[in-house]
Amino acid sequence: MHIPDGFLDLWVAGAFWLGSGVIIGIAVRRAKGELGNERTPLLGVVAAGIFAAQMLNWPIPGGTSAHFVGGAFAGILLGPYLGVLAMTAVVTIQALVFGDGGIVALGGNLFAMAVVDVFVGYGLFRASRRFHETGAAFVAGWGAITVSALVVGLGVGLSSAFAYEVGVTVPIMVVGHALLGLIEGAITAAVYGYVADARPDLVLGRFSDDALAPEVGL
Amino acid sequence: MNTVSTASWMRRALLFVLALVILAPAFGWASGAVGYAEPLENAAEATGAADAASAINPGLLPDYSVLGLAPPLGTLVSAVVGTSLTLAVALGLGRLLEL
Repeated sequence: MHIPDGFLDLWVAGAFWLGSGVIIGIAVRRAKGELGNERTPLLGVVAAGIFAAQMLNWPIPGGTSAHFVGGAFAGILLGPYLGVLAMTAVVTIQALVFGDGGIVALGGNLFAMAVVDVFVGYGLFRASRRFHETGAAFVAGWGAITVSALVVGLGVGLSSAFAYEVGVTVPIMVVGHALLGLIEGAITAAVYGYVADARPDLVLGRFSDDALAPEVGL
Repeated sequence: MNTVSTASWMRRALLFVLALVILAPAFGWASGAVGYAEPLENAAEATGAADAASAINPGLLPDYSVLGLAPPLGTLVSAVVGTSLTLAVALGLGRLLEL
């Protein structure tokens, strides 16, 4: 999913930087005042957990592998704005320290994994949780990563390195990640189910006022 | 606000994250064994873009490896460094935004 440098035309990379910059800026403003004693450690732990989980490449016989991306999970657990901040920390550190994803392409990677994956996952969860909560987490994880893959497919497909073959890049990305996304959905649902059982007050994305849960101790 | 309960779930959550970190080298080996390729790489192959990838910034620990360390150990060090750094950055960002 991480786009390296050299794949995106400058105008595409610039558009991604603009889009992700605007949304991350909004997220920073909305997060101010929403962080409290429990929420700040939660932000740190969720971000760290997603970084570690992304390092676990699940081998799939036949020559592919998938790793958990976690944007939908962050959106559900932290609410969309803190979710964007957690994923921004993860994706930026991956690019700067580990060269995983490019520097020019960082805007694209942030837009796909820290914006689209978070907001689509959060939206799908909120829309479907009335039917089945854990099932909604699965749909959120699966659907959001598939839409993120569509965005990456469009971005590279509109670039000269990929010969402007949007008709090739989008199907490969969407079909590939729709299949791999089943693992994303399963992990999202499993961890969500555990946290929601153990500490429902920590699942900020469940609450109707977008990102705010009441401050609750035991 | 109950700091005792916060410490309790923090400790459990961090233990879970530590377990993920320890597992990283095994997963790294296994994905290498099946011939790691993601859909983006397949799309690049299909359109002739594979050679266009460049590394402007390889990073201090390129591709989650450490110069001079064998892959399993390099992956483990990368997982520890990356996870700790992400925890610190996200916590620091959160604290800043509390102000």
